[in-house]
Amino acid sequence: MNTQPTQNQSLKPPPIPGPFAFEPMPRGASPPLVIEALLKYPGRIIHELQNNWRAALPLWLLSFVMLGMMAYGVVVGSFSGGAQLWIAPAKIAMGTILSILICLPSLYIFTCLSGIDAQLRTVTGVLFASVCLGALLLVGFAPIAWIFSQSTDSVAFMAALHIGLWAIGIMFGLRLLEAMGHLLGRSARTHLKLWSVIFIVVCLQMMTTLRPIVGTSDHLLPSEKKFFLAHWAETLRDGSAKK
Amino acid sequence: MIGRLKALFRGDADRVAESMSRAGFESVAQFSLIILMGAGLYGATLGLWRGPLQAFYTAIKFPLVIFLTCLGNGAINGMLAQILGSGLSFRQTAVTILMSFAIAAIILAGFAPLTLFVWFNAPPLHSKGAILGHSVMLLTHVFVIALAGVIANRRLLGLLRKMSGSDKVARAVLFSWLTGNLFLGAQIAWNLRPFIGSPRLAIEFLRSDPLRGNFYEAVWRALRHLFL
Repeated sequence: MNTQPTQNQSLKPPPIPGPFAFEPMPRGASPPLVIEALLKYPGRIIHELQNNWRAALPLWLLSFVMLGMMAYGVVVGSFSGGAQLWIAPAKIAMGTILSILICLPSLYIFTCLSGIDAQLRTVTGVLFASVCLGALLLVGFAPIAWIFSQSTDSVAFMAALHIGLWAIGIMFGLRLLEAMGHLLGRSARTHLKLWSVIFIVVCLQMMTTLRPIVGTSDHLLPSEKKFFLAHWAETLRDGSAKK
Repeated sequence: MIGRLKALFRGDADRVAESMSRAGFESVAQFSLIILMGAGLYGATLGLWRGPLQAFYTAIKFPLVIFLTCLGNGAINGMLAQILGSGLSFRQTAVTILMSFAIAAIILAGFAPLTLFVWFNAPPLHSKGAILGHSVMLLTHVFVIALAGVIANRRLLGLLRKMSGSDKVARAVLFSWLTGNLFLGAQIAWNLRPFIGSPRLAIEFLRSDPLRGNFYEAVWRALRHLFL
């Protein structure tokens, strides 16, 4: 007797070789194993979040996001020094969490629209993993960012460099979401790609909302509301802005 | 180690890949020594036109640029190698990159007699043609360093193909490493200048306030002066 898969049953994922192989993680996954899986075998992370969910895994991923972003934030703050050494990490970590919270509901909706059979906790965990991978890459880029921080007074240059490095990190991180679409659904590309663009725009706007992150100001947060493109255009036009 | 390098010079990636999978601290030490000696020797010819003291300073700084670039990019190169699916560990990444720099250092050391010959024939520092001499030395060294880099990276690509099992992955990994190393290496070289030494400035190990200044801003200013 043939049994059709029900709506709530996960479809067998298409065979994908290499790092996105949909396979379980080794037993007793510790933080180093989680990081290794994130870098080398991200398919295992998705498998665990979908088929063997434990609260520890997403909590570890979220912890690494916070730690990684704060560590990179210290490098960002080293450009100006002083109070920015704690303000920049705090803003970057908080801004990342806020961006995740703002975009998570829409991600779950787009996931459902894509025909992916995943629970909210799975989607949440994959989003944490995506941002965590970006944070790890930013930590890897930290020496590069630091040396430029010490070599220039230009806020515009450093802001552009940090955004460029962040973009590289988030690009690799969002591949995880795409992999989730491949592994857990059918043709899920368009919706998740669209959501990725939304997430990037939210993050960019969050950086402007929490300004200044690079450079200093008399106020912790800005009193004036500004769209991020307008803020950047002003920063680039006023190339004299220094530390 | 000599056998491994010879094999790679010949393009025998099979043999090298097999030994690279076991490479450890001894390999790091050996390749570092080759870089120190080869790049140091070439660095001396780089600075010789300005004076013996500049030759000595550059012999120290040229290998230093390589080591600082490898150190600064060590973590990100390892991460990118893993993310892009090469199968290389952090250790293997570090050893592989050091090996490619060691190949470049050997090539540069081989070119040292040639650059010495160019130095011998270029207008010397205290002559009327000093500016011409400086330009000739600069262009010669840029060409030689670029050539050494291209050859070393072609060999590295062959090795990456063998170790990763995929041409696409090998190219992606090489591109990411090259981009990062060039980006950071240019800035480190800028911070550690001078290497050849300007005829109008005194010989110094480092310019005053060496961390001041940014290679890319300098290029941007030069382009603006040129075109605007």
